[in-house]
Amino acid sequence: MGKEKVGTSDADLVRRVRAGDTGAYAALVARYRDRLGRYAVHMLGNREEAEEALQDAFVRGYRSLGRCDSPERFGAWLFGILVNRCRTAGARAARRRRVFVHDEAALNGASLPNGPNAPNMIERAEFEDLVRWALGRLTPEHREAFLLKFVEDLEYEEMARLTGAGVSALKMRVKRAREQLQVILREAEHV
Amino acid sequence: MFDRIVAHLRAPVRIDPAFDERVMAEIATLPALTPVRPVAAWRRLAPLAGLAVAATALVLIARPAPSTRRLQFVVDAPQAATVSLVGDFNDWDAARTPMRLLRADGPVWSAVVPLAPGRYRYAFLVNGSRWLPDSAAPAGSDDGFGAPSSVVTVSGT
Amino acid sequence: MKRVALLAVLMVATRAAAQEPRLERVDPAARAPVAALLDSARATGLSTEPLIQRALEGTTKGAPADRVIAAVRRLVADLGRAREALGPSAAPPEIEAGAAALRAGAPPSVLTQLRVARRPPLTMALAVLADLVASGVPADRAAAAVLTLASTARDADLLEFRRAVERDIALGAPPAAATAVRLDASARAARPGRP
Repeated sequence: MGKEKVGTSDADLVRRVRAGDTGAYAALVARYRDRLGRYAVHMLGNREEAEEALQDAFVRGYRSLGRCDSPERFGAWLFGILVNRCRTAGARAARRRRVFVHDEAALNGASLPNGPNAPNMIERAEFEDLVRWALGRLTPEHREAFLLKFVEDLEYEEMARLTGAGVSALKMRVKRAREQLQVILREAEHV
Repeated sequence: MFDRIVAHLRAPVRIDPAFDERVMAEIATLPALTPVRPVAAWRRLAPLAGLAVAATALVLIARPAPSTRRLQFVVDAPQAATVSLVGDFNDWDAARTPMRLLRADGPVWSAVVPLAPGRYRYAFLVNGSRWLPDSAAPAGSDDGFGAPSSVVTVSGT
Repeated sequence: MKRVALLAVLMVATRAAAQEPRLERVDPAARAPVAALLDSARATGLSTEPLIQRALEGTTKGAPADRVIAAVRRLVADLGRAREALGPSAAPPEIEAGAAALRAGAPPSVLTQLRVARRPPLTMALAVLADLVASGVPADRAAAAVLTLASTARDADLLEFRRAVERDIALGAPPAAATAVRLDASARAARPGRP
């Protein structure tokens, strides 16, 4: 006799925050921080910036909670704010010429190590670096489109709403992102 | 390889729970949200009655609601490793409002909470087990719960 | 037969929790009775929020189920009486403060008189009344003091009055005397053209 677990829904929590119970927002933060954090980390390439953008998004979400038209879809609404924050953060970083990848050599165009011991024995840490590096080689628009489609599993209509770009433009970006990643990874794979 | 990349990217990411505290601390410094007065359960009425009440409900929402005030709660708690502020404003959830040590050299703990006008019962929970009332506040009525409460009233004017 | 009854209780409890998810934290033995109390309060138009908070308070403090139920039942009664005394236009914070005043020992007639003497919101005036009695001031003295101040004092003044009385009590003054002294002082301060 399965009893369905009843939690406090997003709509309930939003209602309570709006009624003055600020503490209820903490539950929303806990509920969404990891999921939204995943996007921010991969989009921005480093934890510190990602947490900054994430915090920014949550605080803005709180301040503009009155404008959340569908409280039961608070998560999706907040995600839209985060996507925006990541764009701003990314642009700011680019202007400061910050390094997206931690590997200076890779930034200078050096390719990954070849040789008999290379890619087939890529260790886990190196693999993470590889992914981060490969993503960093994409333009922000391509990276954003790629993550929204393949990691966040969004439909193109939803992506269009979030990014303000047209569906066909987004499809093109995803296609290009995929192609570029294939090229980058092929470089890494071949001995 | 591509699939492996995607699988890696989709793996859950864990953000340090201390993040929550930072967010709530920043929110606590913001000017208060003007709360929307909660609408009563008018949707439970019969459909015909619902129309008239819906109009009333719209008026209720349109009228500006009183704003919240930020209140600081302070307690002296020697030999405390943790102190929580627990009360009507946070569903008596001991995890919601952890207090911070005000000064390193004295056992004074503090928390700031935004409160809408109204009357609130509360108490301090020390080390997750010992209940302390607020010695500077009026006592709440005893409900036989075996632990004390204090009350604070926030004016609407 | 026992199992069917238990199942029925669980189902009622589940329905209750669905309507008010926070009830899930409450002791299962108290959940259904509290939910029923919420329903009856809701049916008479009373706000259920203070009832939920009282149940959560008892739960967090580890009180046995029967104490939690009794506390919520008592609060429903107090809220009902407060609303009756304060009238249908009273706002939820006023009704809650009124309930506290009644619980502290103020008679309903004082609430009704307050409604006449003072423009809403009455929340602070009622709260001060409740707090004075909680500090040991006899209910009739506290009521007389608050009614005297009701028509002229602002909320902040009432709050200050209560604090002053409590300070005096803490310093050893008998509660009734402290109230009289402070009331007198307030009256003198309010009189125009004082020396």
